[in-house]
Amino acid sequence: MSVIAPNFKFSEFVKSILDNVFWILLIFALIGLPAAQIILFYIEMPVINGELLTPFLALTWLADPSRTLPILKAFMTTDLFKIAAFPGFGFAALIAAGTIFIERKMLAKLQLRVGPFYCGKFEGILQLMGDGLKLISKEIIIPAKADKPIFWAAPIIFVATAAAFVALIPVAPGWVVADVDVGLLAVFAIIGFFPIITILSAWSSNSKFPFIGGIRALHQMVSFEIPLILSLLGVVILTGTLNLSEIVASQSNFPWIIFLPIGAIIFFITILAELERIPFDLPEAESEIVAGWLTEFSGMIYGLVQLGTYLKLYAFAALFVVLFLGGWSGPMIWPPFPEEIITDGIVMGPITAKIPGLPIFSQEMLNGVLWFIIKTVGVIFFILLPRGVFPRIRIDMLLSLGWYKLIGLAFVNIFIALGLLYAGVLGPGGIL
Amino acid sequence: MADAIFLALSVITIGSAIAALEMRSLIYGSIALMGTLGGIAGFFLLLDSPFVAMFQLAVYVGSIAVLILFTVMLVKRELIFKKVEDKRRKFVGIALMLVFMVALGSIIMNSGIKTITTDEPAVDFRNIGADFLTYYWPALILMALILTGSVTGALILARREDVENDQRTD
Repeated sequence: MSVIAPNFKFSEFVKSILDNVFWILLIFALIGLPAAQIILFYIEMPVINGELLTPFLALTWLADPSRTLPILKAFMTTDLFKIAAFPGFGFAALIAAGTIFIERKMLAKLQLRVGPFYCGKFEGILQLMGDGLKLISKEIIIPAKADKPIFWAAPIIFVATAAAFVALIPVAPGWVVADVDVGLLAVFAIIGFFPIITILSAWSSNSKFPFIGGIRALHQMVSFEIPLILSLLGVVILTGTLNLSEIVASQSNFPWIIFLPIGAIIFFITILAELERIPFDLPEAESEIVAGWLTEFSGMIYGLVQLGTYLKLYAFAALFVVLFLGGWSGPMIWPPFPEEIITDGIVMGPITAKIPGLPIFSQEMLNGVLWFIIKTVGVIFFILLPRGVFPRIRIDMLLSLGWYKLIGLAFVNIFIALGLLYAGVLGPGGIL
Repeated sequence: MADAIFLALSVITIGSAIAALEMRSLIYGSIALMGTLGGIAGFFLLLDSPFVAMFQLAVYVGSIAVLILFTVMLVKRELIFKKVEDKRRKFVGIALMLVFMVALGSIIMNSGIKTITTDEPAVDFRNIGADFLTYYWPALILMALILTGSVTGALILARREDVENDQRTD
């Protein structure tokens, strides 16, 4: 018996749904349809192929199976689709959601626990949906003395900045939201926004634990940005470009991690620090300062910050793949689309269905996306792994690691890259 | 389109600059300063030089504004500022600024800037690098020396020999 609704009756539930459907249909027929007719009367419809595009014709085209796929393909080349769905936000959010579940389950297995188990039939795979619903339905509590505009704006700007970071990542040849010429510099510029948002949201909540966490986050992010930028200069020196797509294209024969392993290691460590993950999770140290700069967040504000954090995790892992592991390049393992379906159509006994517009995606694109996802998931696994293995380190050890060791190693990496370049081995005009 | 963006950017830049000066809250003032610096990055984008724009964002918004913000957060405002409201000084300041801007504007307008053709392709950032390594190499070496000196000095200043840490094991 449910505690939330003790007088629940299934028949009344069905009746209420049917009632709602009835009223929606009635209002739509009486008001919606005439309103649509009146509006359409005043809009000039375009003429396509000598036919006036009436709404009936448009519906017919959409329902026509021989035109559905071309319309779909045309939609997939638009910027809206790229930003919202595939290489942009939707794809990244899907990977982020998967990451959260895998992290909880894997961490539980590492610590001999069960992890999410009861939500959903199999191993608690619906736990994430349950958590999301819980966060959406909870009240958003704002501290009485908080600075309300910044407190409201900070999580939204955090997600927006993480999404802007995601937009720069090339997933497959030609599949990138913003293919800018100075892509890597844009990445550096966007990374610089995260400490500002963190410290502002920490300050605005007007509470001690968030402020301590925010100052720790600021220290950590600002000091690890320098080795992060320096560790990527080796790749830039060898490729001679800042465009991320061109950097991936330059690794068609071998990934840069073979020649610049030190840079890859430094970049990985700085990723851990920028993402505030264990062993560098001082800003959120839950055993010392409650939840760090997230302490005062509740409800969907907290959900937004978590979404932004995991989007950022995906983006950094993807950046590692793009810069050091060769991005989408890999052996062709995706099977080619069967030729006879394009030429003859699908034959099922007496019926032959000829579907124009196939294949939707080219073989190269699907193969590239497959390799990209495999590599990114691998890097995400290695980012998650230290959480079950390492303890948290002190802030002075963190800062001395960042300022003394990583920056020095980054310069070693740059000199290796310069040596390879001037020896004529790699780079523009090199022998490899 | 470009004119509309230019106007919007000018309003944002100048408006947030005035806000940065006039705001009572220091935090909001430094946020407005970030708006100004970001607006200047927008001008660089409009001038077809994304390289400079990204460095403007990364250095000014990402580092310098953060330092200002961090300093402001550790300051108790009441302790260091006394309210000195002087209308005459304010108006004199505004007048001085207007005179300065008009003079600067007339100099720029008379310098032959109107005859520059604007349909040339944008400068590739590789050319900037090549110029720095060939023609402007003394400037590059001077900048490198100054930067190295300041970084070394900062590290030496930040180093504290007097603190004995018992917990330190490394």
